[in-house]
Formats: sequence, structure tokens, C-alpha cells
Amino acid sequence: MELADRAVGLLLSFVSLSIFTYYTFWVIILPFVDSDHFIHQYFLPQEYAILIPVFAGMVLLCFLCVFIGFVMLKSKKKKA
Amino acid sequence: MKHIVKIMTLLVAISALWVGLLQTSMVPRSHALLLPIYFVVCLGCYGLLMVGVGLMQFPTCPQEAVLLQQDIIEAKKYLKPRGVDVGFD
Repeated sequence: MELADRAVGLLLSFVSLSIFTYYTFWVIILPFVDSDHFIHQYFLPQEYAILIPVFAGMVLLCFLCVFIGFVMLKSKKKKA
Repeated sequence: MKHIVKIMTLLVAISALWVGLLQTSMVPRSHALLLPIYFVVCLGCYGLLMVGVGLMQFPTCPQEAVLLQQDIIEAKKYLKPRGVDVGFD
């Protein structure tokens, strides 16, 4: 049981660290590098650096609203 | 009430810093405009990291689990002749 917990915890921290380094590289370091360096082909164009977090935030917000509405409907149906 | 005042002051300080950075233009303008989104992403990452680390370090206390099971069995034996049914639900 605790091995599964450990594995999930490790996976979570790994994912968060990798997202953090990729995003830091993308937003902060890449604009200072010359445009014909080879590293630019590993990163998407800079507009996506704004689009992807905003899109993810919107998806999260919509999911939260849908979930709250669903729970409210279910509780109302049970009471009636 | 005091906690939200603390959070509000922190937010106001950070936005004042950001506006100041935009005005003095020490860093390139496009850079400074991206900073708020970068901080939000950083905050999310930090939360995920804390959750992951907490999961990894969670103590399970196996001896206490065994003692708890014994306590449950004792309590059931004690309560059943007195008419209280603590079955599985």
C-alpha cells in the first residue's frame, strides 16, 4: 500500500519539477538565446507559452463549475 | 479576516513590483509582460511538488493499525450482547 503511495508521490513531484524547468527555460532563458541556436527546435513558438497555461486554467475552471453543478443537482434530487 | 488582509497585501506588493518593472524597462518589455503567468504556473508547480513530497513521506504506523483492529473486535464483542449492532455498512 505505501509503495503505491510512494510511487504516486514520486511521479507527481517529477512531473511538477519537469513542468517547472521546461516553463522556466521557455519564458526566461530562450528569448536571450540567438535565433539560430539548435535548442529552439525543442521548444514550441513563444505564443504557446501563454496559450497553454491560460487554456489549462479555463479547462480547470469549467470542470470545477460542472462538478459543483452536478453535485448540487444530485443533492437536490435526493432531497425531493 | 486577518489572513485575507495578508494575502491581499502580498498581491498588491507583487503587482506594484511588476508595474515598476514595466515602467523602468530594465528587462525587455515582452519579458516583463509574461511574468504574472509565469508566477501563477510556478505557484501551481510548487503546490503539486508539496503534495508529491507529502505523499512520499506519509507515515503509515502499521503497529497502530493492528492495535486499532484489535480495539474494533473488542468493542464489537462488548456491544453485541447489549443489543447494539455495529455491523459493516
